[in-house]
Amino acid sequence: MPRPFLPALLFLVVLAPAQEAPPNGPRRVDPMWHAIVGATIHVAPGKTIEGGNVVLKGDRIAAAGTEAPPFGARVWDGRGLHVYAGLIDAYVPVEVEATEQRHWNPRITPWRVARAIDDETATELRALGFTAAAVAPSKGILRGRASLVSLAPREEDLSVPRPAVYAEGVWQSAGFDVAERAPGPPRGRPREGYPTSQMGAIALLRQSLLDGLAADERLLFDTTDELEALRACKIAREAGRGAVVVGCGTELRRLDAIAKDGLSFVLPLAFPEPPDVSSVGAADAADLRDLMTWEQAPTNPRRLDAKGVTVALTTSKIGKRDRFFRRLAEAMRHGLSEERALAMLTTTPSRLLGADDRMGTIEPGKLANLVVAEGPLFAREPVVREVWIEGRRHEVTSPLSPAAGAWTLSGGGLPSPLALEVKRKRRGAYEATLSSGDRKAEAQRVSVVADRIGFSFDGEPFGRRGRFTLSAVAVADALDGQGVDPDGARFRWGAARGPAPGAPPVPAPGPADAPESYGTPFGPYALDALPEGPERLIVRGATLWTCGPEGVVENGELEVRAGKIVYAGPARGGAEGATVVDASGRHVTPGIIDCHSHTGISKGVNEAGQAVTAEVRIGDVTDPDSINWYRQLAGGVTTVNSLHGSANPIGGQNQVNKVRWGVAHPDGMHFEGAPPGIKFALGENVKQSNWGDDHVTRYPQTRMGVETLMRDRFLAAREYAKGHERRDLELEALAEILAGTRLLHCHSYRQDEILMLCRLAEEFGFTIGTFQHVLEGYKVADAIRDRSLGGSAFSDWWAYKVEVQDAIPWNGALMHEVGVCVSFNSDSDEMARRMNLEAAKAVKYGGLPPEEALKFVTLNPAKQLKIDHRVGSLEGGKDADFAIWSGSPLSVYSRCVATWIDGREYFSLEKDKAHRERIAAERLRIVQKILGRPKEREEEGRGEGKPPARSETWHCGECGCRGE
Amino acid sequence: MKHATMILLLAAAAAAQDLTPRATPQDGPIAIVHATVHPVSGPSIEDGYVLFDGGVIKEVGRGTPPAGARAIDGRGKHVYPGWIAAFTNLGLTEIGAVRATRDDREVGDLTAEVRAAVAVNPDSTLIPVARSNGVLSFAAFPRGGLVPGRASVLSVEGWTWEEMAVETDAGLVVEWPAPRPPPFRGEEKDPEKAMEEVRRNRDRLEQAFLEARAYAAARAADPGTPEDVRYEAMRAALDGKRPVFLVAHDYDQIAGALAFAARWKVRPVIVGGQDSWLLAEEIKAAGAAVIVDGVHRFPKRSDSDFDEAFKLPARLEAAGVSWCLASGEGASNERNLPYAAGRAVAYGLPRDAAIRAITLHAARVLGVEARLGSIEPGKDATLIVTDGDPLEIPTGVVSAYVRGRAIDLSSKQTKLYEKYRSKYVR
Repeated sequence: MPRPFLPALLFLVVLAPAQEAPPNGPRRVDPMWHAIVGATIHVAPGKTIEGGNVVLKGDRIAAAGTEAPPFGARVWDGRGLHVYAGLIDAYVPVEVEATEQRHWNPRITPWRVARAIDDETATELRALGFTAAAVAPSKGILRGRASLVSLAPREEDLSVPRPAVYAEGVWQSAGFDVAERAPGPPRGRPREGYPTSQMGAIALLRQSLLDGLAADERLLFDTTDELEALRACKIAREAGRGAVVVGCGTELRRLDAIAKDGLSFVLPLAFPEPPDVSSVGAADAADLRDLMTWEQAPTNPRRLDAKGVTVALTTSKIGKRDRFFRRLAEAMRHGLSEERALAMLTTTPSRLLGADDRMGTIEPGKLANLVVAEGPLFAREPVVREVWIEGRRHEVTSPLSPAAGAWTLSGGGLPSPLALEVKRKRRGAYEATLSSGDRKAEAQRVSVVADRIGFSFDGEPFGRRGRFTLSAVAVADALDGQGVDPDGARFRWGAARGPAPGAPPVPAPGPADAPESYGTPFGPYALDALPEGPERLIVRGATLWTCGPEGVVENGELEVRAGKIVYAGPARGGAEGATVVDASGRHVTPGIIDCHSHTGISKGVNEAGQAVTAEVRIGDVTDPDSINWYRQLAGGVTTVNSLHGSANPIGGQNQVNKVRWGVAHPDGMHFEGAPPGIKFALGENVKQSNWGDDHVTRYPQTRMGVETLMRDRFLAAREYAKGHERRDLELEALAEILAGTRLLHCHSYRQDEILMLCRLAEEFGFTIGTFQHVLEGYKVADAIRDRSLGGSAFSDWWAYKVEVQDAIPWNGALMHEVGVCVSFNSDSDEMARRMNLEAAKAVKYGGLPPEEALKFVTLNPAKQLKIDHRVGSLEGGKDADFAIWSGSPLSVYSRCVATWIDGREYFSLEKDKAHRERIAAERLRIVQKILGRPKEREEEGRGEGKPPARSETWHCGECGCRGE
Repeated sequence: MKHATMILLLAAAAAAQDLTPRATPQDGPIAIVHATVHPVSGPSIEDGYVLFDGGVIKEVGRGTPPAGARAIDGRGKHVYPGWIAAFTNLGLTEIGAVRATRDDREVGDLTAEVRAAVAVNPDSTLIPVARSNGVLSFAAFPRGGLVPGRASVLSVEGWTWEEMAVETDAGLVVEWPAPRPPPFRGEEKDPEKAMEEVRRNRDRLEQAFLEARAYAAARAADPGTPEDVRYEAMRAALDGKRPVFLVAHDYDQIAGALAFAARWKVRPVIVGGQDSWLLAEEIKAAGAAVIVDGVHRFPKRSDSDFDEAFKLPARLEAAGVSWCLASGEGASNERNLPYAAGRAVAYGLPRDAAIRAITLHAARVLGVEARLGSIEPGKDATLIVTDGDPLEIPTGVVSAYVRGRAIDLSSKQTKLYEKYRSKYVR
């Protein structure tokens, strides 16, 4: 039952220009009454009428069915043709000039409106069967309003309506664009270099939405990797907005989390190029995650759809649009059905755009927007004959000449027997081939105009030296014409039509040759499910380094129930119903806690666009895919403090994470209940001392300025805390420091700056969380003890820049001796894998008892992060986070054997072995598949390059902490 | 007392200057006795002694040494040859972030003529820190470009670089072009462009060797040919008298470097060698050696074994490749060299092979085996005395000798420690 046409009051419909230009000559009358008869009508996904008719009157569909068309309509022969509702592209980014800057940041332009599409893009889209598209302003963070527009060409004759804007402001376009580089303008001037990081873009977006920009508008997020989709969802939810995500093509890598988020997607058919495996060395360098992404990408639309995610498709983001149907054929070969594909291009986008009352199906009353194809549209190389837009026909491909086809020639001077095949090429030109048995000649100078054909060919293959020239007219099933042979003799010839070739088949949903399941996170070492946590677990026989009041216990016993430690002490015996781990001869320690990490942070660990960025949050950009998480598990690490870099005096908010490799959602790694914190930094990095001579204008350039800037922001935060009209994310975070609810972790080196911050904290009445690096901490250990929760240092790094010349490896022990709570940290994804050995350096330098040294990477960092009620020691009531070692954790000869978090075994050498076998088999299989893929698929992915979101490793230089 | 304080203050004020006293030359025979002696070239000797005189080892044995030497009681102690840092920028750099203190990269891609020794600062504060943990010799490498210069082997004790030098021209350094440079900040180079650059650089290397050989022939035929410092500097390597140190990590790099060495008939040493275990047979066939640049590195791919770098030494040893181990830490932390060796033991390397990798085999690969690397009569008395297993972190180096001189194991760092400890503990 077609819905009656209702004038959509919500829409600003512009179907005719306000004023018509006077016609040049007599007016033209177009009755706009058409009938396409005898065609296969795809009324709606899953609903097809064979031999049906569609009647168009004015700009609307009047009828669709099998009834005879009305007398008076212009009749179009639709035999052999397939008619579909005009396709809708739900995302076409367009450049829209910002005429004025109304916001301090040039990437916030919500008032921009996209209402037009350029002719070239519209032509490309019509050629693919599209009749409407949603255009959205490109570039920026809050980019502007999108509109649904007609793809009808601009007519020169102004009496014909110009392309219509079906609906304006369908959604507000948003994205995570960053500044190309951070200039160094002082605070207070236009901060055009902000943001430089994804977390900065998110903070700016959140603040803009809080400020009421684009109020009440639905959001459209343009994303470049699958994690951004999850971030978009959080932002939209916080702002209470509906949201649609323009995907990137690799959503399948976080399928479960994305499906759970319930967002709608506009998906590009972006399938990456296969990694280079063309030589031994190249194949050796190809990463399994990239290999898998190549293999699985074509399953993306099908997988999301099957999970119940609303999916529309777009032709954007695939380099060249004319690849679209080849890509779609690939997706269909990987299981996407024709019915679902049609829905993703018609009914779903019309619904997403709120235009399903007027487009999306072939039903009376809807706009006369159609696509007509020669044969099925969902083929590898479909031929779009024409599109109809608002009742007007726009030809894409001229009808096939009757001269096309297979012919058997006969006549005068022609070799005999001789066969001719005439085929239309992609752009409407024709090619012809002559053959006799296995001898062949390509025809030259083939000209086909309507029913006439002319060409020449070389007689040599057929035993006649020289060239023939032939021309003929096609009449019904015969060719009739004249020819000139190589000697110049004219002759009459003819041809009878051979059997017609069949229509190209619709790509059948294939048996998926890509594995159906691949675990989480996508790539190597994936888990099919999170490790099971035994209800009752007993680890016995090991030397327990409890780091608690029990000290080191030989032949100890650790009991865990439901993820919590219930006992850690001398062996007791009795283990009814328990899973027992025999750890005889082994050592068990609390899970290692790394108090300074930059592992698994997406797209920028520093927001370097401003000197003060308290508003940005590391927790917004957690990357659970980084392989370094797994590698750190293999080093016994269970908790890390993920910190912002040290490019700014006041950096971003940190995130304490548990290394829960394999969780569905990135936020599943977040240490629930850990007190929030923030990164501050002092010294050379924030003064930009080692950034080169271009960076000499941002305030501060001296340690004097650092103090001043910090005091000024604390004063502002104190005022803010007294009362404010507007919620300010930066001042809010700073006010929390003053209120004692947010821990300040400060990158620091020299004793003067350390003392300065201690005095500042005294002045504003709060306790500092930690001093990080704190390599001259030993010079002012008493002040650190009195004013902070502790110092977190490198064990023995020094001499990489001027402010660390006085670093000494006794720093940790000396501070400890004075009463500072000390931890050692890695600040390095690599060193994080061996923090137990870093702890051993506190024995070497300063002679700490071994267990006290081990506390530098277990209990002490837990205290510093105020999570010691949960982790850091093996004590009843704490989380069952522990590591099992083959020998003393402080011995260089020991290996980590297993790592448990929340009573679940996330790593073990045995499991690792199984992973390795699986990885080797998968590598082999996919490399073989790439090498053996059919030639026609070699073009796939060209132009899109590598898949998005490789996991990043931040080296110390990039995070700016060590500063070289 | 006043005097001592004064010295401490001076030490702290002198930012990048080593003020530890120099050792005096050995002035009579010394015997370290009743220690466990690890000659490395042979089995360890319980209750052993090492007798050295004039800076040279005279005798190694069990029990009581011949009379006449000053005996040093080594009961409960272990004696090892000093560690050799086989690939480092020690001496050539002081503070990474300060350009003025860096002397390891000359301008230009082809600078065979420069040699490391002459730029080694004997007063670098980094050197006493390295030697405090037993690193007594080091090979300083110029870096960057294609042919950055020549490496030099030096000891950690001496008034001048000349006194420190063991071998000023240890071999020619070649940085083999990397076909797949690792992504920087997640951004990868266009592979086509990268390959083009690799081809161009390989051609330039080829050209440099061609020209050097043509020059040598011309000079031999006509001594009037003007001297070219570049090509003169390459001569020892081209003649096979010195090795060519080919810095190469990736499979294609190493394979390309080996082919290059075979074509030019030079003695290859692969430096870095991340993928060398994949080419073990080829490396052996080429008579090449490998300097493994540390084990604390990331695995090659995200799907590689997490311990890939840790077990590289074990793989090379098992395959019978000639190799040694560098720390991979850089100048300021060469002191951690024995821990890289220890880590490799945790991942399958026999412990004695680990010791060889930072002593005798390092000396062999660097061409200084005649003087360094083991405790054998005739070799330099360059050795350390430890209070336990030196691959274990808590173990300390209690004394050290360079060519028989008892060296001072203090450093700017120990002095800062003492100074500030006195602030809290009076």
